[in-house]
Amino acid sequence: MKAGIFFIILVFAAVIAASLLLGPSVINPFALDGTTKVILFSIRAPRVVVAVLMGAALGASGAILQGILRNPLADPYILGISSGASLAAASGIVLGLSVFGTFTIPVLAFIGAIVTGGIVGILGWRRGGLWPERLLLAGVGLSFLFSALLMLLLSLSTTEGLRRATLWIFGDLSMSDWSIMPYGLLFVAGGMAVSLWRAKALNALILGDELTHSLGFSPHRERFLLFVAVGLMTAASVALGGMIGFIGLLVPHIARFFLGSDNRLLVPASAVLGGALLCVADLIGRSLIPPMELPAGIITAIIGAPYFLYLLRKKNVLSF
Amino acid sequence: MLKRSAITLIILVCSFSVPCRAGTPERIISLAPNMTEMLFALGLGDRVVGVTSFCDYPPEARKKPKVGGMSNPSLEAVVSLKPDIVVMTTDGNSKEFEERLSSLHIKTYVSRARRIRDLARGIRALGAALGVKGRADRLAADYEARIKRIEALKPAGPKKKVLFIVWPDPLIAAGPGTVIDDAIKIAGGENLAERSIAEYPKYSLEAILRDPPDMIVIGPDMREEEGGAIRKLARGLLSRLRTLPAVRNGKVFYVSDDLYRLGPRTVRGIEELRKVMEH
Repeated sequence: MKAGIFFIILVFAAVIAASLLLGPSVINPFALDGTTKVILFSIRAPRVVVAVLMGAALGASGAILQGILRNPLADPYILGISSGASLAAASGIVLGLSVFGTFTIPVLAFIGAIVTGGIVGILGWRRGGLWPERLLLAGVGLSFLFSALLMLLLSLSTTEGLRRATLWIFGDLSMSDWSIMPYGLLFVAGGMAVSLWRAKALNALILGDELTHSLGFSPHRERFLLFVAVGLMTAASVALGGMIGFIGLLVPHIARFFLGSDNRLLVPASAVLGGALLCVADLIGRSLIPPMELPAGIITAIIGAPYFLYLLRKKNVLSF
Repeated sequence: MLKRSAITLIILVCSFSVPCRAGTPERIISLAPNMTEMLFALGLGDRVVGVTSFCDYPPEARKKPKVGGMSNPSLEAVVSLKPDIVVMTTDGNSKEFEERLSSLHIKTYVSRARRIRDLARGIRALGAALGVKGRADRLAADYEARIKRIEALKPAGPKKKVLFIVWPDPLIAAGPGTVIDDAIKIAGGENLAERSIAEYPKYSLEAILRDPPDMIVIGPDMREEEGGAIRKLARGLLSRLRTLPAVRNGKVFYVSDDLYRLGPRTVRGIEELRKVMEH
């Protein structure tokens, strides 16, 4: 187990270094000139930070949701949070809103995500607490509704907005900028802190509400706290760079293959793996056929899914 | 290859079947914005009875009945407008839709013009098919003469490297095989993005810093009612590229969307680009 953790940290550090120094051109950190300095500090570094934040938020959120919903197919997008965010952002783009200046679209996405999370929470609430099945179904229902509204909006819009909205929905790290980072960091770190603080309770929740009680936790309170943490992290991730699939669903399973299902380890490991995977995917996306860039979301699934299937075949136990 | 020969065959069939009919079609539907513009330029605006929801130029085109989008027009809407001919393009309309129309015995004209070198030929063929050959010949001759004039006026000094940004956030550049790429070359410049694989690549910021352009052209800066939306949207991009000589020396220009479609405005677009390149 110790070796596993050490290995993950080592891989993570290597990935960060590689993402910063490799790309369409290799940067020698000991011989920086004007151009390479700009590339390193204002183009690559913010991308790497956004990739780590988004990947970590999605990986950890996935692990937590699979726990509180007791469902291996749960991911941060199943709750409709991303559909709500996309709908809000696309509406802003199509209507040409600019209420929050350059932050308009990320702020709208964040608001859309939080409002959707709130509605799912209200719908999933019964007799003083959140119920896993209700949360899941409310999320799926809302997700369909918002996706349909989004499609409707895009079919009705004929202007440049359509193109811009579509590009946004595909997820994009290429325009990552330092200015938005503090807010993203705040919400992701806040959500992560709550998750780690309640990770032990999450272990109990997986065993069922009765056992959770007898272990001294209130299932309703724990579910609520974790749900809020997931909502914040997912909302921040969508606001930072749109939708990136795969990480929230399958990275926690990959982490489980190696580390087992103790959430005190699983949640941070999923975060680290998610961050590393998105970094690698972005690195490949911008290095493969320069000067053209490929969206990181596509690469994530192309390299992640076969690896997941390989593990599925190789390891016998799908522990959950 | 097979697809291309199939398209050629269809065009041959169409161009044989259409001009045989005497006179000009009375009811024309256009399924592409650039074809709509050509129809109006040929003086056939009054006969256009249906357009797509993307057909926004000339302004009169907006008032025409809509039959849906370019890739998904409504067959029912097209049929109910009882067209004598439906004008389409291989660049955006589907072959399946053309086949459906043919199976319903609705005549089609499919233009395969994609590049600037096809422009004059394309408008001549369209004019011939629609019975306005004289007018089409005059327009085509005008385009050819103006393009020649621009080509003759090659700017002095070394070729300028131009980065044409068709959308600033995320950065989408005009790559090889596009009308814009042709226009840059006709205007005597070099397209920075010509080595890209895609026609409209999402372009790497790093690559721009490594291989800096002499000038940056940003589009589409056009609609007054949008209040310079593109300029606002490009602000973030330009601040990221602020160390570039082109940005520091004010070699950033905004142009209209004249080059975004292959049609009657294309030559005006090349002239606009040529003028900008004099700076």
